[in-house]
Amino acid sequence: MASVLIVDDAAFMRTSLKLMLEKNGFTVVGEADNGATAVQKYLELNPNIVTMDITMPVLDGIEATKKIKEVDPKAKVIIVSAMGQESYVRDAVVAGAKNFIVKPFKEEHVLKVLNSL
Amino acid sequence: MILLSNSFREPMLEMYKFETNQLLEQLEQLIINSEKSNCYSQEAINEIFRIMHTIKGSSAMMLFNGISTLAHSIEDLFFYLRESKPENVDYIKLSDLVLSCTDFIKEELSKIERGIEPDGNPDESVNIIKAYLSELKGDGGSNAIHENIGEKNQKDADKKQKYFITHSLSDNSEKTPYKAVIYFEEGCEMENIRAFSVMHSLKNFVQDIKSEPEDIIENEESTQFIRENGFKMQFYSDRAYEEIENLLNETLFLKKLELEVVDKTDEANTNKKKPVIDLESDRPNMAEAIRPEKEKEKEQSNKSLLQNFISVNVNKLDKLMDLVGELVISEAMVTSNPDLKGLNLENFNKAASQLKKITGELQDIVMSIRMVPLSATFHKMNRVVRDMCKKLDKDVELEILGEATEVDKNIIENISDPLMHLIRNALDHGIETREERIKKGKSHKGKITLEARNEGGEVIIIVKDDGRGLNREKILQKALDHGLIQDTGREISDREIFSMIFLPGFSTKENVTEFSGRGVGMDVVSNNIEKIGGVVNVDSIVGEGTTMTIRIPLTLAIIDGMNIRVSNSTYTIPITSIKESFRVKEDELITDPDGNEMIMVRGDCYPIVRIHKLFNIKDSVSNINEGITIMVESEMNTVCLFADELLGEQQVVVKALPQYIKKVNGIAGCTLLGEGTISLILDIAALVKIK
Repeated sequence: MASVLIVDDAAFMRTSLKLMLEKNGFTVVGEADNGATAVQKYLELNPNIVTMDITMPVLDGIEATKKIKEVDPKAKVIIVSAMGQESYVRDAVVAGAKNFIVKPFKEEHVLKVLNSL
Repeated sequence: MILLSNSFREPMLEMYKFETNQLLEQLEQLIINSEKSNCYSQEAINEIFRIMHTIKGSSAMMLFNGISTLAHSIEDLFFYLRESKPENVDYIKLSDLVLSCTDFIKEELSKIERGIEPDGNPDESVNIIKAYLSELKGDGGSNAIHENIGEKNQKDADKKQKYFITHSLSDNSEKTPYKAVIYFEEGCEMENIRAFSVMHSLKNFVQDIKSEPEDIIENEESTQFIRENGFKMQFYSDRAYEEIENLLNETLFLKKLELEVVDKTDEANTNKKKPVIDLESDRPNMAEAIRPEKEKEKEQSNKSLLQNFISVNVNKLDKLMDLVGELVISEAMVTSNPDLKGLNLENFNKAASQLKKITGELQDIVMSIRMVPLSATFHKMNRVVRDMCKKLDKDVELEILGEATEVDKNIIENISDPLMHLIRNALDHGIETREERIKKGKSHKGKITLEARNEGGEVIIIVKDDGRGLNREKILQKALDHGLIQDTGREISDREIFSMIFLPGFSTKENVTEFSGRGVGMDVVSNNIEKIGGVVNVDSIVGEGTTMTIRIPLTLAIIDGMNIRVSNSTYTIPITSIKESFRVKEDELITDPDGNEMIMVRGDCYPIVRIHKLFNIKDSVSNINEGITIMVESEMNTVCLFADELLGEQQVVVKALPQYIKKVNGIAGCTLLGEGTISLILDIAALVKIK
């Protein structure tokens, strides 16, 4: 199954997502707690999929998505965002994010989005 | 459980509690620091926004909706502060507001901790925050805000043009006009963004795209419109119907797609008009895309790069600690096995010393795993000081030193309450009122220092204030009045008198206040500290302040001990308390009229405690120059212990005395020696007091 890099500044969210993904056969190859680390880890691990939070320290999810798309235009970035952040999600879609998951996420939604890639 | 099964919630609960608590601590720190500097920096606002955003998100995942709602409202407030930068913010009010919310969340967390559903109602706080937010919005700063928002809308509009109208003047004569309606699945959320994504994905294939609703992102009602009526688009494209259809079919959460060619004159095209495709039942699973072998190989190598941290259940660590303790005993049982006595075992000894080295390293590692810096506990005290200063109208600065000092996790858990108590006490009773301080010629601002450092095998935590100091006579009088001590007429040292404040029943109603009273006396402090093997000392100078010194052994489980023999019994003395050992000549012995023995060493006189007398042991060496005298120290008191002989140094695992043995004064616990015999560990702190 696909390898995933989880990016979120909250360990809780990372672990939630990780449990869900691993239960469903995905391999979580790495985690990052800010956008800058995410870009670095993307280069290092070259995952099939990146799940990207938006509100993060150092470098936010939109900028990180842009950077990742710059180094790898084929990168598959999924935005994980809370309700009320619509305009950020739009910016992320323009930046090249493939799709998005809305927090609090349901397992079926997460799988649907990730399986579509 | 609507969203998540218990199988998800259970393992995540620990993590949730841990992270949320950590974030709350961080938040309090930020607020207190901001309050100190009397302004909220942009970073602080951003940080608070992020913390609340995170708490909102994880609480919603855990279905703790009260917490989530409250966090959301604070997030909104700080979002406004961040974006609009209003100038008329009453920061004190803001701090109070946010701190009261963290208290609510803490209360809810403690319910979760106790296994109760967090059912607190956040509505009141939410309403206060909302009212405050609209107050901010409505006030003088509004012009700037409107400008800001106007600017933002303008920017958004620019973006919209940039994104949507890519070929507005293109020649469409060769292209086919299409009309599409997209319905999303119910409950997929953010339908407007999904619609936007659809348009975005089409942009390279179609031209002159128009949509209904038009302002999908900016207009909040667009989501509702799309939910009810579907998302309608019109566009021109030179691509074939199937191609467009396939593109649109890739949309996630697509419930239904209606795609038709508008051109009525072209018969061929209308033929292509297809019935509505219902996608709910037979959507192909895209997951089974074939992936090249290479990627799988990559996955393998990626595994080695997995993250460097894992979280471990503390119970497992405790168990590990116990096991290492057992290992140390077993090691001694093997290497100093009585069967080996008198044998010349060169290879065995080599192997044994290797084993000893490794168990030593293992022990160090296990200990270090359990070590946690004191910083979080120390910083919690900032909040205590802040709240009390407000209530008591005092101005006190808390200075924190050595917060990086690491102690066993056990200690962290037990030290927090006593520290809080000591600090409250210092602030309430120690530090004078502003007027009193100025009258005494002190700075109006009081100072409490909280310091930690390592010293030998101990960690020392000091709480120091520059207040009025303890009143020796008053304490003595009170202790006598309450019958806590008998008036024997003997000289009592300052330290002894000051330590009376820790006696149960010393705190009286007289000085009970909201903070430091609570009916529990300072004896709780000493009890808690004793529980982790520590001691508290009080030093005080009238008019200059009080210093409370807490000494806690770094680890309780395994100590370096010196085994001594008295007749047939073995005793162990913790190495850290031994100063020296020597043989006393008979003529050096001084005996006072009461028969107490003493010895002069380098000009100082020390009492001698004969262990055989203390514990009534027969057949031991009684001639002072035949046995060995060991000078031990605890809390600045020194005595000399007299034993038959030293057996040697050994690491021992401290075990508590079994319940059925009544507490023996002078014995701290017991340990198992290599030969399988039991050695009693001497309680040096108690022994030095016997004299």
